[in-house]
Amino acid sequence: MVKPAKGTTTLAFIFKEGVMVAADSRASMGGYISSQSVKKIIEINPYMLGTMAGGAADCQFWHRNLGTKCRLHELANKCRISVTGASKLLANILYSYRGMGLSVGTMIAGWDETGPGLYYVDNEGGRLKGMRFSVGSGSPYAYGVLDNGYRYDMSVEEAAELARRAIYHATFRDGASGGVASVYYVGPNGWKKLSGDDVGELHYRYYPVMPSTVEQEMFEVTGA
Amino acid sequence: MFMQIFEYNGSALVAMVGKNCFAIASDRRLGVQLQTIATDFQRISKIHDRLFLGLSGLATDAQTLYQRLVFRHKLYQLREERDMKPETFASLVSAILYEKRFGPYFCQPVIAGLGDEDKPFICTMDSIGAKELAKDFVVAGTASESLYGACESMFKENMEPEELFETVSQALLASVDRDCLSGWGGHVYVV
Repeated sequence: MVKPAKGTTTLAFIFKEGVMVAADSRASMGGYISSQSVKKIIEINPYMLGTMAGGAADCQFWHRNLGTKCRLHELANKCRISVTGASKLLANILYSYRGMGLSVGTMIAGWDETGPGLYYVDNEGGRLKGMRFSVGSGSPYAYGVLDNGYRYDMSVEEAAELARRAIYHATFRDGASGGVASVYYVGPNGWKKLSGDDVGELHYRYYPVMPSTVEQEMFEVTGA
Repeated sequence: MFMQIFEYNGSALVAMVGKNCFAIASDRRLGVQLQTIATDFQRISKIHDRLFLGLSGLATDAQTLYQRLVFRHKLYQLREERDMKPETFASLVSAILYEKRFGPYFCQPVIAGLGDEDKPFICTMDSIGAKELAKDFVVAGTASESLYGACESMFKENMEPEELFETVSQALLASVDRDCLSGWGGHVYVV
């Protein structure tokens, strides 16, 4: 029962103040929603985040494994591992398991001595450095909103709102995304969770219901 | 993502019997596999004031089937000078579906109506016309398993219209919250 498309929406982008990371929280098995409250943003260490798309077990395990390897690097070299190094570690591990059926589409986002860093790593062993990424079945919809509203010099609040909106629009159109839109910010002092809003409530915030004429009212039925 | 033909558009339908009344409800999403196309799609149509038809499954077949059935009912009205009884209409739907036994309409209808002396009538059938009559509730669509569970636990005999409305709505909303392919609110008709 391997699902080829990863039923989720995650995104991350670099801007002037750091990295913004956001994701939905729905887990689906075919058409069935198995959970609406999955943590898809994984805290590797206090200054690095990983996003989960694909197999939940695969992502959780290998991110935790990566966290262990990063800590070992710190102890052996007396300095924090860079985002470049961490993503390379993960990519090499995934490459060695290539063809065995792991399903991982992750973004490693963090802040190191060279500033903000963002890499996309997947189960094929691919590793890409970039400024904006979105992963999952809802990613085309998120890219539409993200690419349209992106500017490098945004404030933290503007970037958070852009990320939240992009996730909301993806959950609107994509059936496999939904639940809660979580937004995290990675800055020079590490990551911080900014918000977790239910996408149903975001819908009414962005598109409030206008009072309209009532088409049919319930009335008492006489002599039934 | 590979999906079956019945899950191409996504749907959720439920009909419930109350005290001299019935309720029929559907979700409002129309999708193409995982992508949502519309959030205000009508799946339930009125045949006459005391007979409603809901069609789940492939949306194009639902629309065509509805048009054919309205046509047949209008002919019946002209000939018999009265509306069709729900039981008769159910037999008509069943016959029309079985005509296409080896190239079927990919729909599951839910029929709800008030018969003589305001006795509520509900039934559902599979895509080739096998009728399933029930005294309490019937369900159809991609969320049908969740709907069975929700209705089974929430249903009570002889509910008044207001309580029936609440029950049907809550059962529908709870079930579509567990289905990627249906949702975006509901249309509920209580007669």
